[in-house]
Amino acid sequence: MESGALKGILDSIGASLPYFAAELFLTVSVLLLITIGLIKKEATLIHVAAFFLMAVTLGIEIAHLNANPQSIFSGMFRSGNSFGDFFKCLFSVSGLFTIAMTWRSERTQSRLAEYYALLFTIVLGANMLVMAENLVILFLALELISISSYVLTGFLFDKKGAEGSLKYFLFGSVASAVMVYGISILYGIFGTLNFTAFQLPSIDSIRLFYLAGSLTLAGFLFKIAGVPMHPWAPDVYEAAPMPVVAFFSVVPKIAGVAILLKFVLYCIPAGINWQLIITAIAILTLLVGNFSALWQKNVKRLMAYSSIGQSGFLLVSVASVSLQGAEALLFYSSVYVILTFLLFFFLQQFENRAFTTIASYEGAGKPFFWPSLFMLVAFVGLTGLPPTAGFTGKLFLFSALWESYAATGSQLLLWLLIFGLLNTVVSLFYYLRIPYYAFIRPAQQNFQANNLTFENLLGAILVLVILILFFSPQLLMGWINRSNFVF
Amino acid sequence: MQQYLISLLIFIPLGAAFAGILIPSGNHRFFRIGTLTISMIQLLILVIMYAGYEYDGGVQFIEKQPWITLPLGTWGTLKAEYFVGVDGLSFPLIAMSVFVMVIATISSWTISKNVKGYFLLFLLLNAAIIGTFTALDFLLFYLFFEFMLLPMFFLIAIWGGERREYASIKFFLYTLAGSILILIVMIGLYISINEPGEAGTIVHSFNMLNMAEPSNFISNSILDPNNPWKLKFYDARYWAFLLLFFGFAIKLPMVPLHTWLPDAHVEAPTPVSVVLAAILLKIGGYGLARIAFPIFPEAALHFSWFVGLMGVISIVYGALNAMASRDLKRLIAYSSVSHMGFVLLGLASLTGEGIAGATLQMFSHGIISAILFLLVGVIYDRTHDRTISNYSGLSIRMKKFTVFVLIGFFASMGLPGFSGFIAEVLVFLGAFRAPTANGLLHESFAIIATSGLILGAAYYLWTLQRMFFGPLDVKGGIAADTLTDMDRREYLMLVPLSLATFAFGVFPQPIIDLIDPFAQGLSHMVLTTGKKLTLFP
Repeated sequence: MESGALKGILDSIGASLPYFAAELFLTVSVLLLITIGLIKKEATLIHVAAFFLMAVTLGIEIAHLNANPQSIFSGMFRSGNSFGDFFKCLFSVSGLFTIAMTWRSERTQSRLAEYYALLFTIVLGANMLVMAENLVILFLALELISISSYVLTGFLFDKKGAEGSLKYFLFGSVASAVMVYGISILYGIFGTLNFTAFQLPSIDSIRLFYLAGSLTLAGFLFKIAGVPMHPWAPDVYEAAPMPVVAFFSVVPKIAGVAILLKFVLYCIPAGINWQLIITAIAILTLLVGNFSALWQKNVKRLMAYSSIGQSGFLLVSVASVSLQGAEALLFYSSVYVILTFLLFFFLQQFENRAFTTIASYEGAGKPFFWPSLFMLVAFVGLTGLPPTAGFTGKLFLFSALWESYAATGSQLLLWLLIFGLLNTVVSLFYYLRIPYYAFIRPAQQNFQANNLTFENLLGAILVLVILILFFSPQLLMGWINRSNFVF
Repeated sequence: MQQYLISLLIFIPLGAAFAGILIPSGNHRFFRIGTLTISMIQLLILVIMYAGYEYDGGVQFIEKQPWITLPLGTWGTLKAEYFVGVDGLSFPLIAMSVFVMVIATISSWTISKNVKGYFLLFLLLNAAIIGTFTALDFLLFYLFFEFMLLPMFFLIAIWGGERREYASIKFFLYTLAGSILILIVMIGLYISINEPGEAGTIVHSFNMLNMAEPSNFISNSILDPNNPWKLKFYDARYWAFLLLFFGFAIKLPMVPLHTWLPDAHVEAPTPVSVVLAAILLKIGGYGLARIAFPIFPEAALHFSWFVGLMGVISIVYGALNAMASRDLKRLIAYSSVSHMGFVLLGLASLTGEGIAGATLQMFSHGIISAILFLLVGVIYDRTHDRTISNYSGLSIRMKKFTVFVLIGFFASMGLPGFSGFIAEVLVFLGAFRAPTANGLLHESFAIIATSGLILGAAYYLWTLQRMFFGPLDVKGGIAADTLTDMDRREYLMLVPLSLATFAFGVFPQPIIDLIDPFAQGLSHMVLTTGKKLTLFP
């Protein structure tokens, strides 16, 4: 290779590096965490180090908000897109919550350095995913998330964990293979892997495009646990440690939906309408997730199906294929992150006291009044009832869908609107079951509870945030809206 | 000061509920007296409001504060306000609610399980009810409407009877399903509406009064009256009306969506039953008259025969079910279904009398159903049995109780001299006049509906004869010496209610003066705007 061309490439890489600061820092953090783990085995130190590193990452990401959009690493990533940057902050916040949860967990206190290294890798993968412009990078980021997830699933090192991890791995490998196949056909059609540069395919390759697109979709759906790529979720959720479950139901899912929305939005200029396929998938995901959740007895399995149902709601934003949908997604996923962690902090606290089935929550409302009340708020929020921000989020999502329906007149969108909203009724039925057992059934055993715990303090703050975001959504939505919207 | 009166009505109980969390739960007396004091303060505020109320003043005591203003780029601005006010429809209903709340609080004296939780939930419910009746912003209305569900769910689920789990979940799911239907329309409405104001900017507001003005719709938006869109066989606005109608009909409840009501009533404790029957059901009728009819007048004209028909079916089917009930509380629950049918029939007639009758029926049924459920509570507190066939000749042991039962039953039957009579007569006048005045209903509707009165007389008189007359006899393991006559607390509840239904029955003019401007206005508005929109779609 000529030295001039090489120098040009090196220069462009060098110029790209500052825009990649948060991701580079995450990579360094992974190495640092492993090194610390080799030198010192003290749990507290590792927790603090992980928390500190994640906080710094968040700081870097916030500092880079509202930067100028820039294509970096010769068209591999787009940095400075306010859409992706917002999600990157959200992932780091989720990371911080997960670290706090791990610190409070009683079951994940061994091999912490490796655990955190894997967690940071997933955050790195999610960051890369929402920045990706190129299908290869997209695939790489997805694999980065997946492979780390397989290991984290089995981190309790029991038989169930091994089983869940293996199932996850097998399912994931197939999904990845299918996706790569789809990507290769896309490359054949368009002659480029940069999906933001897709042109209108010729008439005779339209069918092939739909096939390739559907195959690629498999990879996305696997990550967000959308039907029909959802069956891994309950087993994995049941096997994994509680902080990991909370993390799984937030970060990979939101990253997957975000990149799917970006992918679909970029396919629109190419003249291809994905709306119908996504809408059908959203309807199916809602139905399967919510109706399966009705029969669950184990809390973690319940949450798995609930997270499938929530994927359906997140997909509503993709189905509306509009900027409004994207804004609604940003709002809803922020609220979803807060609600999920609010809930999982207490689920973990209860799990530490051997509450694993829904029935075991009988009468917990009296001794554990505040935890049960906070959980009730979280469940009401996930259902989407006022006065929680969950309602506001759904209002924005379905407003975007209504608008999209008014613009296109597509009947399927109307069905999604009706099914989506009626599914909140179904979801209420299972979301209320834990509070129902806690508050209404009489207690079977006596508990001593301490009201002054870390969870209660954090719970009170998060509940306040959820209420404030209902009464003045402009605090968040206005901010989302002000930022110049770039993908 | 005037403009804050409604806010005081809403926020005093709400604030008290939050303040009450801090008070130790052992102090039962405090919670009881405290809740009663708050209801009395509300009653006082109401009297002040009545003194300043202008009959022809339209919507008054308005308070408008900015709440959510969200600029969303080119799409426009989303705007929701804290916008409350009362008019001839809401004022009688608030008055009735506050009055019944006082009585229900007294009736809650017997609650002994988790007193603190009970009264705090009761206060939350109180605030949500007043909020629902006064909100003039759709989002605010929806907030209060949904917020009512949670306290009500826990009140039935924790303090209810044996099958309370089933009943409370059923109540919650039915009502939530209804409110989802309303939510769909709410979203459709606010994205279709533009608040009149500056030219060139689009403000999507939730203001319900603006929504009733067809020119405020953005042209070619989905619920724009001039929009030629059809979905299957109806216009989008017709569908929206139907969604609202079914959403509120679940709450009302209308046959065949009524099945949650008997279960909820049978399992709920007496004061909760009182609130449920007297106040919560009215929100269904209120929603139709406040939202569905004025916002979609042409759909209201188109479907008025259907609304009227469903009303007639509810009247007759509810009455027949009441007659077949073995449980006294279930009987009264079904009689509520039957009586709420009159509300539908009155509204469907779209005449001034009919709408006034429907509103008055809501007001009067609030008072009468409170009496009836309290009466059931009296006997249930003593024997823990409500099976009609287990009693006979109660008038021998419980003379004063029987007097109140007679008052309650006769009032509910629609006997002249009680408020129910006036309301039902107005509804019949409206329904009879509708075929000639606006040609909306068929003559047979009113004729069939009158059979509801006859059936009502039949099941009440039959119940009187079975339970209260004849030789004294109790079955089913009830000890006869538990049948003591009424005590002072029960008088305190039943006497004011009985006097009220009697007073409004003999001298209904004040309340009719209150309702009439609203009823005439709504009738006129729906007929003219509706016809205009039907002729020039």
